[in-house]
Amino acid sequence: MSDHASGPRAFADPVADITDMFVFPSPEEPSTLVLVMDVFPFAGTSALFSDAVDYRFRVRPAAIALGGTGPAFAFGEKEQVFSCRFAAPSERDGDGALSQVGSCTTPNGTRVSFQVNDEQGGRADGIRVFAGVRMDPFFFDGVKALQTIITRKLAFEVRGTSTMFHQNVLSIVAQLDVPTMLGVEGPMFAVVGETITTGSLRARLERYGRPEVKNFLLLPKDFDVVNRDIELRDLYNQEDAFQLSAAYGSAYRARMSANLAFWDSLDGNTDWPLDEHGAHPLTEFLLADAMVVDVSKPYAEDSYLEIERTVLRGVPHLSCGGRSLNDDAIDTFMTLLVNGGEGPRVSDGVDQATVPASRMFPYLSSPERNPPAPKAPAIVAR
Amino acid sequence: MARCGNATPAGDARGGEQPVTAGFLAMVNLQAQIDGRERYVTSGPRPAVSDEAELIELVAMRGHILGRIVDYEWALCRAEQLASNLPANDVAFLARARARGRMHRFNEALEDLDRAQRLGSDPSVVNAERAGIFQATGRYEPALAFYEAAAERRADFCPVAALATLYAERGDILAAERLFRQSRDRYRGVSPFPPAQLELQWGRMWQGQGNLHRALTRFQAAVRLVPAYAPAEGHLAEVEAALGDGGTAIARLFRLTASSDDPEYPAALARTLNEVGRLEEAVGWRDKAAVRYDEVVARHPEAFADHAAEFWLGIGGDPHRALQLATLNIGVRHTARARELVVRASAY
Repeated sequence: MSDHASGPRAFADPVADITDMFVFPSPEEPSTLVLVMDVFPFAGTSALFSDAVDYRFRVRPAAIALGGTGPAFAFGEKEQVFSCRFAAPSERDGDGALSQVGSCTTPNGTRVSFQVNDEQGGRADGIRVFAGVRMDPFFFDGVKALQTIITRKLAFEVRGTSTMFHQNVLSIVAQLDVPTMLGVEGPMFAVVGETITTGSLRARLERYGRPEVKNFLLLPKDFDVVNRDIELRDLYNQEDAFQLSAAYGSAYRARMSANLAFWDSLDGNTDWPLDEHGAHPLTEFLLADAMVVDVSKPYAEDSYLEIERTVLRGVPHLSCGGRSLNDDAIDTFMTLLVNGGEGPRVSDGVDQATVPASRMFPYLSSPERNPPAPKAPAIVAR
Repeated sequence: MARCGNATPAGDARGGEQPVTAGFLAMVNLQAQIDGRERYVTSGPRPAVSDEAELIELVAMRGHILGRIVDYEWALCRAEQLASNLPANDVAFLARARARGRMHRFNEALEDLDRAQRLGSDPSVVNAERAGIFQATGRYEPALAFYEAAAERRADFCPVAALATLYAERGDILAAERLFRQSRDRYRGVSPFPPAQLELQWGRMWQGQGNLHRALTRFQAAVRLVPAYAPAEGHLAEVEAALGDGGTAIARLFRLTASSDDPEYPAALARTLNEVGRLEEAVGWRDKAAVRYDEVVARHPEAFADHAAEFWLGIGGDPHRALQLATLNIGVRHTARARELVVRASAY
């Protein structure tokens, strides 16, 4: 699943577990950029944000790097941080229901406050923010993906079943006026979502650049002949996405290259030959783990990895890149891994979320409050 | 100590306290986790055994924090069903081992762990569970060997906390105190539950040593982290009463008797009321505790023999029954405390 439970630490405390991130020019207001971070997989409707976590987006200018199979992008040094924090909840007068207030601070010092679960969100000059429980927009047949890894054969069916159908998450939606908030930089930006502690020493709990990097490419250990017994995802989560430390770099590279080679093998062809050191051509590309968007291009529903793919082909990109809420991003990703994007589309058989996202703020669908009638548990083996 | 959330690169220890989620908020979110997971298990597209096992652990966690025996019973019942329905699934047997272990059915839990391992469970996970049972049953050497090896591999919050508790139980107070501090300083998560559990164990060590002021500090820290933490509140009330603050202890125990179904709290309330001379009220709470102890001992004798024996030996006023239960208890776990309980019960 996109980044749900992406490591023991995330599993231990879902309130800091980033499940997803989406970055797209608003279809509603084209001069704005929308940043979405989801946390807390399988959240009940009473879920609230932690008062000890800074939920933040880090944005840096990005430029296309030239040549080779290294990182596709050069990230600028100037960083803009949009930081959202939440107070402990209080009981509302009258009905006694819990009420939580949050605020988001922008790089220029603007602070916007909002009530959690208020669909109107909060507004300040150049920014609008919503936070609250929404239906999980992610769609993917995670069970069949697991089966693919275990059996080493593509196990997806024509009609798949999304593991996340009718499930909820906590979402933060920040809509930025590009000229006001991001200035004259751009038009390409790299975005990373993070949860970090709020203490004087800031510890990174989770980070997110692209979907499935951790659960596809770092979780499976069987293909990695270098570090077969190490769980790398917690370590990877603690890394600065814009400046990967050298300490564990070799371990990440070995694991990623091994898993990328596995995915490439699934159609019986080798579309991504490894180099003489066993490095997969996409490893450096994906280790630069940020979501890149071009704000000069209009909203597109299916532009995930478009910029990266055009870099690989050496041609200019035509879309905004990033990732919209309705984008079938995992099909795009699997197709790139399995056949280099040159063959038939590799699909999990799930093409949309339970309820597709709207084109209006806050974009994500209302939470599932009345799930389908409980049935007898149909438990399947892990 | 479950759900540590403690991954820390080696040598990256941090001193001092760090912010964690407010205890009240964490309880709201624990319930939200249970609600979400229950919905997925009952009506999700493809619930897996691991989802059911996760739900069982979450409900048991709530049971531990709030002192709700009903949650432990629910968890045991679901785990029994799971293992019965899926006799070839290791996750189901691991879940049942944990549930049985919580109810002190240690031999059955060990059998389930063996079976889980035969069915494919990760040996390191199974061994961690075994170590917990060895510790609970007074077999400290194999537990120590496991915890030391775990701490050697990765000296972060969880293994160090386990070592600290083991040293405390063995009576090596200096080493335990050092390890409790180390563990606390190495916590890197934001959930307040693991550090609150650590403070509880730390406080129990000092309470056992008779250092009530140190115990008070630790129990207060646990309650600051998670105000609804029933075991910490219960121990805090005991210490407050022993230090002469019966009024505060009684108020605390009244709250606990309303939120928990564990007879431990009406029993403690009866004891404290008796000590401050409120004899009539004490009798009423003693009777409630007696009825409830009879209920839970009838259903889960291994889990409640220890505390029920203490009750009958004290405010319950039936040493004969206390001896029967203490004898049952020492058959379940041969710890120093169990031996001492038999000795005290035999003295009447």
